[in-house]
Amino acid sequence: MKRVLVCISILLLLFAAPSFGASSNSKPIKVGFVYIMSGPFATYGQFAKQGAELAVAEINAKGGILGRPVKALFEDSRGKPDVAARAFRKLVYQEKVDCLIGLDSSGVAKSVVPLMKEMKTPLIITHAATPDVTGKVCNKYTFRISVNLAQNVKAAALLAAQTKAKKWTTIGPDYAFGHQSWEYFQKYLKEVKPDVEFLPEAQTAFAPIKTTDFSPYITKIMQAKPEGVLISLWGGNLIDFVRQASEMGFFKGNWEVLMTLGAATEVLYALKDKMPEGLWVGTRYWFLANNSPINVAFRDAYFKRYGQYPSYNAHGAYSALYAYKAAVEKAGSADKEAVVKALEGLTIEIPVGKITIRAEDHQALTPATWGKTASDPKYPIRILKPVKIFPAEQVTPPVEKTGCHLK
Amino acid sequence: MFVPPRLFVFVGAFFGMDALFVNFLNGLSWGTLLFLISVGLTIVFGVLGVLNFAHGSLFMLGAYLAMQVVKWLPNFWIALFFGPIAVALIGVLVEIFLLRRVYDRDVTFQLLLTFALLLVLDDAVRIIWGPAYHVVDPPPSLTGTISVFGVSYPVYRFFIICVGPVVGITLWFFFQKTHWGKVIRAAALDREMAEGVGIAVPLLFTAVFALGTWLAAFGGALSVPYQSVGPSIGDRIIIESFIVVVVGGLGSFPGALFGALALGMLESYGTMFAGRVQMALPYILLATILLVRPRGIFGKEA
Repeated sequence: MKRVLVCISILLLLFAAPSFGASSNSKPIKVGFVYIMSGPFATYGQFAKQGAELAVAEINAKGGILGRPVKALFEDSRGKPDVAARAFRKLVYQEKVDCLIGLDSSGVAKSVVPLMKEMKTPLIITHAATPDVTGKVCNKYTFRISVNLAQNVKAAALLAAQTKAKKWTTIGPDYAFGHQSWEYFQKYLKEVKPDVEFLPEAQTAFAPIKTTDFSPYITKIMQAKPEGVLISLWGGNLIDFVRQASEMGFFKGNWEVLMTLGAATEVLYALKDKMPEGLWVGTRYWFLANNSPINVAFRDAYFKRYGQYPSYNAHGAYSALYAYKAAVEKAGSADKEAVVKALEGLTIEIPVGKITIRAEDHQALTPATWGKTASDPKYPIRILKPVKIFPAEQVTPPVEKTGCHLK
Repeated sequence: MFVPPRLFVFVGAFFGMDALFVNFLNGLSWGTLLFLISVGLTIVFGVLGVLNFAHGSLFMLGAYLAMQVVKWLPNFWIALFFGPIAVALIGVLVEIFLLRRVYDRDVTFQLLLTFALLLVLDDAVRIIWGPAYHVVDPPPSLTGTISVFGVSYPVYRFFIICVGPVVGITLWFFFQKTHWGKVIRAAALDREMAEGVGIAVPLLFTAVFALGTWLAAFGGALSVPYQSVGPSIGDRIIIESFIVVVVGGLGSFPGALFGALALGMLESYGTMFAGRVQMALPYILLATILLVRPRGIFGKEA
């Protein structure tokens, strides 16, 4: 009997809790967040969730959106397309959310984006980088406010062109993201520096995502004796790679190293001083890249609340909610079709800088951030010094080249 | 699995001797780690008759506990000693309170139970330690690289290569030469008969499961200085361990050794020679063995 009572009271608490927060009488605006919350990449979802919760708290403290409080719902994509699709359906059809925000994996994004046409709900992508979701499979309801693969890799190519390296190879994850990174890198670098050479496929390395021992791949690349190496590994893969590569002397080699996702704070916090200094690393947002009031406020509020500096994924979720807020206010209502229209061409200042969501393909014109890893006693993790910002105009492919035909 | 010397030199001239040798070490160290984990899986199956799906989660628990001990008192050796023992104690509880109830039932009950255990342990780890990645340094005495035949290779990887045979030989000696080893083998062969001659079989089973758990956790603790600790590391290792024991033969001690080294070499040389097909090689091996010799290379006739 006692156990039953405990169960009932817990259930009551669970159901009652959300209603304590809602001070206003008006119906809340519901936003569904879908990130990887479990498995090897779960820390990315954790940061995104924290960023989203911070934005919700800030917005609700200032009276919500059009006077309505915001309610965030979180779902786990587990990094799998079918799970993410189920989460989307649940949020849209059962929870009746007004907007969807999220997506980490490019593979997931590519397969769920086409579903948005039937769900008729705006989706703002904040991490997944595949050019296809604002290209080949773009649609009316899908937007992205984060740097995409093309923008990030274009910046990498511009950096690579400035080095002396002429013979490049790659090591990346063995799925579309890794292969596309390499493909775009070759294309862009060839454009700006025609006399470069790329090693044949047999001398590139693509490791399955479940790999924990990268030594054979490291051996392969070191044996190929390249002059430059593009690394598109991320998450736990990147951590394992960096540690094993350091031990095997990879970073002492006579080659340039560019890590397209090396400046994720998720990775930097795990590696701390084990991240070598002087490497070029890319990111979608760097918390020390600028001192605009809006960035300082975000960075400080995040640090105060969670005791860590925000990662790009935290920034993505945080900013997406503000972008949605701006669109609702521009449209004057949370009506989905009106919000979609308002998001097109929307210009908004977020911590990374001023961005504009291009109306033609729904990709944000947002700067790409790169920097060299350096140590600083003021921070527990490696920071970027110098930071190099590539303006959106310099790295974003023109609409004609994206393959997106919305209009 | 060892490449004959003349072929070694021939291929070496083509691809570079160094690369062949480094990949030999890569395969050997990864294979050794796989051996430690899969030998525990195979012992538990051989004696208790239970295929333990949660074996990978016990590996993960070993890694997390070792990481936690290092955070408290920064000494890897203490972590390597106490982490696996703590997990083995958990193994004792699991055997007494859960597994013992399903020995006499259908095998599906065992699979469901150990799979449930996997889910519970995975989530427990996520609740306790969160989703972030953790990194542990190798002990100071084992950092850096040493030069062997003109190739520099991390000291810690050599350490793993040495630990494997030590554990393997100790286990072999224990099972073949000691009184208790013989008792365990007797109980594995015929449980009722063993009970008939006065062996405390339930106690024995608890001890064997604890040993299997310890081996998984020891492998986990050993992997921590060169692999990151994070959620789901157990799921990845359990698949490889299953391939190892199926290839080598379920319940076979030499089978686990053979399977682990074969898989290690296949992955390291596969990366070098097979390109993208490398990813499929372990599964091709698995499928071939299942078709040609379903009981595994060293498996006994059912």
